[in-house]
Amino acid sequence: MGIFSGFSLIASSIPYIINGVWTTLEIALVSAIIGFVLGVILSLFKIGNIKILAWLSDFYTSIFRGTPLILQLTLVYFATPQLIGYDISAFLAAIITFGFNSGAYMSEIIRSGINAVDKGQFEAAGALGVPYWSMMKDIILPQAIKKILPAMMNEFITLTKESAIVSTIGVLDLMRRAQVVAAENSLYFPPLIVSFAVYYVLVMILTILGRLFERRMSRSD
Amino acid sequence: MIKVDHLYKSFGNNEVLSDISLEIKKGDVVAIIGPSGSGKSTLLRCINLLELPSKGKIYIDNDDITTFNQRNVIKIREKVGMVFQHFHLFPHKTVMDNLTYAPIKVKQTTKSEAQEKAIKLLNRVGLSDKVDSYPSRLSGGQKQRVAIARALAMDPEYLLFDEPTSALDPEMVKEVLDVMMSLAKQGMTMAVVTHEMGFANKVADKVIFMDHGQILEVASPNEFFNHPETDRAKEFLEKVL
Ligand SMILES: Nc1ncnc2c1ncn2[C@@H]1O[C@H](COP(=O)(O)OP(=O)(O)OP(=O)(O)O)[C@@H](O)[C@H]1O
Ligand SMILES: [Mg+2]
Repeated sequence: MGIFSGFSLIASSIPYIINGVWTTLEIALVSAIIGFVLGVILSLFKIGNIKILAWLSDFYTSIFRGTPLILQLTLVYFATPQLIGYDISAFLAAIITFGFNSGAYMSEIIRSGINAVDKGQFEAAGALGVPYWSMMKDIILPQAIKKILPAMMNEFITLTKESAIVSTIGVLDLMRRAQVVAAENSLYFPPLIVSFAVYYVLVMILTILGRLFERRMSRSD
Repeated sequence: MIKVDHLYKSFGNNEVLSDISLEIKKGDVVAIIGPSGSGKSTLLRCINLLELPSKGKIYIDNDDITTFNQRNVIKIREKVGMVFQHFHLFPHKTVMDNLTYAPIKVKQTTKSEAQEKAIKLLNRVGLSDKVDSYPSRLSGGQKQRVAIARALAMDPEYLLFDEPTSALDPEMVKEVLDVMMSLAKQGMTMAVVTHEMGFANKVADKVIFMDHGQILEVASPNEFFNHPETDRAKEFLEKVL
């Protein structure tokens, strides 16, 4: 059977696969938001002078960086329900795992951004009597985040691609849908290539959007 | 009045200030001069508690600020403004927002009040046309004038200047010194670390000469520049004049 007749065989399922992009994006987006919020909090703990919080944040980060993501996901989805006595949906398990995991990486990125802000900015804010948290929120973080936009965009793209792992717990994302269609038709190449192409186009679009956004943000420099 | 009383400051084993005592009276302009590394910046930064003194006392209007906690530190920062060598304007805020941010945040000034005041201050430093500019669009001299206006926006009673013209191209030094001179004339109490001997000579009520973390001379500009007492001061003046 030729490749093209293969595609025509699954033609009616192609929209189904492509629509998986919304699930993929939803997981990536929600996880990125959780990851960002967590990342900000953890990074502030890391650079703050409360030793125990700094230590806990470093520990948190090392846990998520030091173990396989797929194992984290499996633990959250299959093991947590046994511990807490409630089932959690695959989608919830996905965004918890990816959000918490991303928080670990994001906190390192944000910390490096904060460290890259001129020390004089802290002093100028301090000398004007600006309280610590206001200084962080209004003066330091906006500058830090501007510096790390490319790294954060990278993190988001990684998240988008890595989210394919959620197919292992049955979330019907781009990857899983391709597998479903493949299994139904016992035909692998066409459906997998469809999701392959969608991932690629998606990442390209995100890359371009990221660049446009960066350019916009750097205008005040 | 600011009164520094037997102040010491060490970074680790490195004693940077040793046994510093001085007074700055209301309305006075004090020029602090001395070779690089002599501790001038550190002294200035102790006065608004950007550095914590190791020993000794600093009184501002009779409050010993070395005993202050976080909350009181803010009170000191409201009273004592600072202008830095490298300006440290907030690059992501417009000139207007640079001037209004702290008054709104720290002094709970209303936005419209703060803006009105900012316009007046920008007029005063000759930059009313730059209200909506970002700092990156300003020259060094303009940045420093905005930084002075930003400090003034908090209505400080004292202003500390740490080499305010050292990072400027020579042709911009005058515009900043002019602003400082007019402040001095209007009675602002100022402590100025500077290498501009002309400014010190003309504007200061008192010159303090520091070397190796100690104050070697305190004198009127006339005395200091014409009849320095210590050899170190003589050497220093020979180099810079
Ligand atoms: N945060 C710090 N940690 C450790 N050492 C410091 C710190 N700040 C200053 N020093 C040291 O203290 C000494 C005095 O520094 P300071 O900046 O006060 O000198 P200065 O008179 O302002 O010099 P300059 O004219 O070069 O600005 C120097 O030896 C410097 O290395
Ligand atoms: Mg200095």
